[in-house]
Amino acid sequence: MLNTRQIRAWYQVHKWTSLVCTAFLLMLCLTGLPLIFHDEIDGWLNPEAQALDLPASVPDEDLDAIVAQARQYRRGEYLRFLDWDDERPHVLSLAFTTDADSDDFSRAHFMAVDARTGQLLGEDRPAGGFIAFVFELHVRMFAGLPGELFLGLMGLLFAVAIVSGVVVYGPFMRKQAFGVVRRDRSPRLKWLDLHNLLGIVTVAWALVVGLTGVMNTLATPLFGLWAMRTLPPLVAPYRGQAAPMQEQFGSLQKAVESARAALPENEVTSITFPTANLGSPWHYLIWTKGRTPLTSKLLTPVLVDVLNGRRQTAAAPNYIRALKLSRPLHFGDYGGLPLKLIWALLDLVTIAVLGSGLYLWLARRRSAPQDVTAWADVAVAEKSA
Amino acid sequence: MSAPGGFRRVWSMPLLLATLTLFGLLAALLGEGWWWPLSWIALGSPLLVAGWCLMPQDRQR
Repeated sequence: MLNTRQIRAWYQVHKWTSLVCTAFLLMLCLTGLPLIFHDEIDGWLNPEAQALDLPASVPDEDLDAIVAQARQYRRGEYLRFLDWDDERPHVLSLAFTTDADSDDFSRAHFMAVDARTGQLLGEDRPAGGFIAFVFELHVRMFAGLPGELFLGLMGLLFAVAIVSGVVVYGPFMRKQAFGVVRRDRSPRLKWLDLHNLLGIVTVAWALVVGLTGVMNTLATPLFGLWAMRTLPPLVAPYRGQAAPMQEQFGSLQKAVESARAALPENEVTSITFPTANLGSPWHYLIWTKGRTPLTSKLLTPVLVDVLNGRRQTAAAPNYIRALKLSRPLHFGDYGGLPLKLIWALLDLVTIAVLGSGLYLWLARRRSAPQDVTAWADVAVAEKSA
Repeated sequence: MSAPGGFRRVWSMPLLLATLTLFGLLAALLGEGWWWPLSWIALGSPLLVAGWCLMPQDRQR
C-alpha cells in the first residue's frame, strides 16, 4: 500500500505531466475527431471515380498494357507508384511526377484506371483542403519531423499522466463507491468525481491510442532505418551501374507474377517504380500483404530487377511490423463505421477528462487555501483508511 | 493494508472495463464477421457504464 508521501509524489507526477501535455493533447483530440472519419469526409468532399460496370467474368488487363496506356496520357512524366485500391475494387491508382526521384507527392498527378480495360476513369486529386490541414496539424503542427517527434514526447507524457492518474485513483476511491458523482457539494468536487469516473473508464483505450500515437511519430525515422539497413545489402551488387531508363524497364506483369509466385499466401497491393529515393533505381519494388485480418496489415516487399527479372524478398523487421500494427489501433479504422463512432465518443470523453483536469487545476489556484483541494482529498482518504 | 475486499471494491469495475476494452481492440483487429459486433459491444461498455453513472440518481433503476 502506498503511504501518504508516495501518494503525494505520484499526485505531483500526475499534475505536472498533465499540465505540460494537456494543451497539445486537447489539440490532438480535437483534430483527431475529423481524422477518424477522413475517408468519409474525403469521399464526400471529393468523390472518386468508380470502376466500370462490367460482368464479373471480365479478367484483369495485362499490367504492361495498362502502364503503356497510362504513360501516353502523361507523356514526359514519370510513373512512380501503382496501387490496387482497397476501397474501390478493380480500380488502379497511378501516381506520376515530373521528376523521377522527387519524394514530394503533393504535386503528383493521380490517375484512376480500370484494372480490366485500362480505361482512364478520372484524375484523382490528392487529399487536400480541410482534411490535409487538420492532418498536418495533428501529425506535426506544420513543424516537420521535429514537430512530429515533439508530439511523440507529449504522447509519452500523456501515458505517464495516465499511469500516475491510475495510481492516485486508488486512494481517492477507497471511501467511495464506483462512479458516484457528488453533485450537491462544491462544483470542484463534482468535477473531481467526473474526472475520476471518465478517466478510469477510458484508461485502457486512452493508453493504447496514446502509445500507438507515439509509435506513429517514429514512423519516419523507423522507415528510414529500414530503408538504410535492408535496401543497401540487396542493391549492393548494382552499385555503380547506371540506373535504367523508363523505356528499358522489363515487363511489369511478369514481375508481379514473379512476386505472387514467391509469396503465394500474399496478395500484391502496390508497386514503387524504380527510384533513387526510398526505393531502388534498378528494381520494381512490389509490396505484398497477407490475407488474414492480422497479416493484411503487414507488408512484405519483393524486389524485381527491371532488366532481367531477378527476384529478392525483404521481410520486414519487427519494429516495422509493430509500426504497421500500431496504425489501425491509433486510427480506429479497422472495424467498420460503428467502431469509428465509438472511437469518436471515446475521444470526446478524453476531451472531457482533459478539460476537467485543467479546470481542477485552475479552480484550485483561484480558490482559497481552506477550500478542498485534490491533495487534501488524497490526505483525507489516506487518513480515514 | 486496505480492508479485505477494499481492493476488489475499488478496482473490480476499472479492471473489468479495461479487460473489455483490450478485448474489443483486439477482436476487431484479429477477427472478422461476428468479432466486429463483439468488439463494438466491448469497446462501447465503458461509455455505457459512464452514461449510467451520469444519469440522475432517481432514474438509475
